[in-house]
Amino acid sequence: MKVPVSWLREYVEVDATTAEIADRLAIATGEVERVSRRGVADVDGNLGLYRVGRVLEAGKHPNADRLQLCRVDVGEAEPRQIVCGAWNFGAGATVAVALPGAVLPDGRTLERAKLRGAVSDGMILSEKELTIGEDHTGILVLPEAWEPGTPLGDVLPLGDEVLEIEVTRNRPDCLSVYGIAREVAALFGGELRLMPGAEREPTGEETPAVVVEDFEGCPRYIGCLFRDVRVGPSPAWLKSRITAAGMRPISNVVDVTNYAMLALGNPLHAFDFDTLGGGRIVVRRARPGEEFTSLDGVLRKLDPADLVIADAERAIAFAGIMGGLDTEVADGTTSVLLEAANFEPGTILWSSERHSLRTEGSNRWEKGVDPYLAPHAARLATELLLELAGARWTGDTDVRGDLPERPVVSFRPERANRIVGVEIPEQEQKDALVALGYEVARGWEVTVPTWRARDTTREIDLVEEVARVHGLEKIPFTLPLRSAMDGRLSRDQRLRRLVEDSLVGAGFSEVYTLSLAGSDPHPGALRLPDPLTSEHAVLRTTLLEGLVRAARHNVNVGNEDVALFEVARVYLPSGDELPDERWHVGAVAAGGYARAKGALETLYGALRIEPRPERTSEQFLHPGKAARLEAGWVGELHPTLLEGSWGALELDLPTLFAQAREHVVYEDVISYPALRQDLAFVVDEEVLAGELVAAAREAVGRELHEARVFDVYRGDPIPAGKKSVALHVAFLSPERTLSDEDARVLRERIVTALAERFGAELRS
Amino acid sequence: MDPKALENEARSAIAGASTLSELDEARVRYLGRKSELKQALREVRDPETGRILNSLREELEEQVAVRRGELEREDLDRRLTEEVLDVTLPGQARPRGHLHLITQIRREVEDVFLGLGYSVVDGREVETTHYNFDGLNFPADHPARSPLQSVFLNGDVLLRTETSPSQIRVMEQQPPPIYMVSLGRVYRRDTPDATHTPVFHQVEGLAIDRGITMGDLKGTLLHMMRALFGEEREMRFRTHDFPFTEPSLEPDVSCFLCDGVGCHVCRFSGWIEIAGSGMVDPALFEFVGLDPEEWSGFAFGMGLERVAMLRHGLPALGMLWENDLRLLSQF
Repeated sequence: MKVPVSWLREYVEVDATTAEIADRLAIATGEVERVSRRGVADVDGNLGLYRVGRVLEAGKHPNADRLQLCRVDVGEAEPRQIVCGAWNFGAGATVAVALPGAVLPDGRTLERAKLRGAVSDGMILSEKELTIGEDHTGILVLPEAWEPGTPLGDVLPLGDEVLEIEVTRNRPDCLSVYGIAREVAALFGGELRLMPGAEREPTGEETPAVVVEDFEGCPRYIGCLFRDVRVGPSPAWLKSRITAAGMRPISNVVDVTNYAMLALGNPLHAFDFDTLGGGRIVVRRARPGEEFTSLDGVLRKLDPADLVIADAERAIAFAGIMGGLDTEVADGTTSVLLEAANFEPGTILWSSERHSLRTEGSNRWEKGVDPYLAPHAARLATELLLELAGARWTGDTDVRGDLPERPVVSFRPERANRIVGVEIPEQEQKDALVALGYEVARGWEVTVPTWRARDTTREIDLVEEVARVHGLEKIPFTLPLRSAMDGRLSRDQRLRRLVEDSLVGAGFSEVYTLSLAGSDPHPGALRLPDPLTSEHAVLRTTLLEGLVRAARHNVNVGNEDVALFEVARVYLPSGDELPDERWHVGAVAAGGYARAKGALETLYGALRIEPRPERTSEQFLHPGKAARLEAGWVGELHPTLLEGSWGALELDLPTLFAQAREHVVYEDVISYPALRQDLAFVVDEEVLAGELVAAAREAVGRELHEARVFDVYRGDPIPAGKKSVALHVAFLSPERTLSDEDARVLRERIVTALAERFGAELRS
Repeated sequence: MDPKALENEARSAIAGASTLSELDEARVRYLGRKSELKQALREVRDPETGRILNSLREELEEQVAVRRGELEREDLDRRLTEEVLDVTLPGQARPRGHLHLITQIRREVEDVFLGLGYSVVDGREVETTHYNFDGLNFPADHPARSPLQSVFLNGDVLLRTETSPSQIRVMEQQPPPIYMVSLGRVYRRDTPDATHTPVFHQVEGLAIDRGITMGDLKGTLLHMMRALFGEEREMRFRTHDFPFTEPSLEPDVSCFLCDGVGCHVCRFSGWIEIAGSGMVDPALFEFVGLDPEEWSGFAFGMGLERVAMLRHGLPALGMLWENDLRLLSQF
């Protein structure tokens, strides 16, 4: 909400400066995003260089067809010669003049200049140059009664400060200058003036025909009929205020509706009464297939949920959102039906979203406007239409359903103190509520003002009012007084950190990839009915796609030694309403199977789990380099997936953590020495090294302290189809020093077992 | 043989040896098997002479050992001075990887609250409207309920729009006092740009106990902001509106770049808007069957990406999802 400060000060009397008002509003009402200064700067006598002028002579510039050469009386002994590019005036016109030295609103300093050989000793100004309005087709013509030489600032709003306030959803009352004035009055103890709009009496007895078929969508509709309307431009003061508040002046009738909306917060609409079929207004839902052309020229196909304003025959406006082209007030309009209604927020919000149409009106309605505000807005607009458009008010009607009662809330000042954490005196609490428009009866029964009736219905809502008027900055910084503490990570959370840290230590960098993928190998993966894009359509059941994409990106930008991992959730269809969300770790790295297997071993080592991979096959993996484990898989990516030699793995963390050993019990490997031996076996090519190790373990039992493969050899003198696998073994007993004889016996067990199971021959 | 003369001669030979081989020659000459001393020892007959000669032998052996030690040390020193290396050459480290910046921030926040005695809760990402909206007191016409703003799987199930549903689940499962934070992914139907992605990360905090005040909310957030942005930070709280809190407060932290003087980061206000917070709305207590007269609490939420962008000067949010090692390895 843009609030011109001069307008604000018309409604509230306070001593506070603009900066003080902005600071306090920011804390207590809504963020003040900016305080801007617009128009003519009030510095170094600059305002004195702006005058009312009267054109004494005007004629074509001798050297330029498009320019006028004027002599203008600006209240000095001699008239000034001014060159002007506009032709919408002639001798006798009263105009706005800036003299040389004046700083213009756009920041330029006006110089005495020669234009096509003629001296120009000033500038005749347009609305746009003064930032009063948008019109730049000609200069601003002023009322004849204004005397030449009059300081322009005395008769026109030349400069102003504007507060830009971000108003929260719950405060549509603050989407108005008067609403902000009410806040300022409460926060500074200032005096709030009565609502603008003088009471007038209609001069006829024409009652506009208004039928509300849907009081749920439209609880209230006031229609006022005006005759003999003269549509024309608004006076400068009105244009200036509307422009400063961020809207565009259009015509006196439209500007008046916007002005009343900005002033009070109730959007209004004006129809050309003569264009209404049957001369009546019907508020109803749209009919199936109905359409109409809105003011912006777009043909709107209506939905039966849209609330429309119709005449006897057809829809003529989106209720509360935008009027229609056919019934628009135009230059020739002489009869105007002014709509001061109230619309329900839900209806407006859905229509506004459905048609992607957001307007100043919808923005207010969708937040909920006070239904008791409509007559005030109608009164202000009526006063201005009579004054500015020469209209006659010939009658009105007020159609309404059941309007809500004002809520009455029981309030306990001590409850406020308990929540806020500060002792605020009861009188101060009462004053704060009263200043905001609440009525506080004996026993703290608080009646809520109509403009806050949606938002304030409970005691806690009043606590907020007290706290913000008291001053949020006065609440001290404290920490809760605790009677219980339980601050620790869960086992899974701790182990997840361990997984992350292990992979980082192994040279892998963590990536974040999106949970939504373009496709997923799981046929039952959850799909979005309305995907964000084709790349964000399904909830992934595997991290692989994102990792491959990240790896490819890194290759494409020329990064080397790419090793990436992600710890994130996948979403498995569960058959229930909600999927099974499981944490996975996935990794991908240049360097083929060995790199991924190494990372896997690091990971399992950190968790103190013995990995037991078995040969497997997966579509996305190299057919000969793929292994399955209880928690997932490790392998080399199929080269069609990513060019080059890439290792990858993906593991289900809950499965993995179920195997993790939490508390390791000491094993005595220190008291007695280990006996170490290297054994090489010749076996068939198909035999897996892991099977040899497992068999050796089984054959020896707990005295086999260590067994690992350190070399695999093929070639002479090993026959074709066979390989030599070299094992390093260490025998150890926690009870005694093993003798050479013990070692021989244990070794013999291994040799026998491997010979029996795999036909392995010990190489000498 | 004159032991005295032999001793003097041997001593000077040992002391005069300037290399280990010279020393060895001296040792052979005076202490070797064929040396005069060894020969005399073999031939000795009376105990007195034997004692004198033996003590001379021991004396000389000691001399040799000492001299050997000196020469070896000189040798070592000489060798070491020759082994001069360019100490600025790179070492033989295995390059380590990097945690994603958001993970680092996430852990930092978790650790701050673990230190304050909070537990860390992993909430669900796919949620029901019951927990994501109804339980959080979103009015029926709230824009977030619209499929234009949120990502729905069907009419009742959506990707959580904030981490707050975990509050309701925890309140249902566990009696107060509750002190928890929940961190993770949240989803909005946003068109990606410099400050928006359809997925981002939030931290959610909840404290419920007897006698929790707005002052406690202010103090707790000040603690967090100082941990994240420096001990000199100040905070201010502005009134705001959220469905799940009443009163609602929007916290600003004093700009850490300009110290409140005004710069482009704080848009020349001196303050940075960074989170949302407030006192737990009584409707939430009623929803889970807790008595709002007995319990009060506060809650807050903050975007982790916002911390990353502010504190680390990241120009665009999308970079955090590109996973370019040139960016990842900076943190």
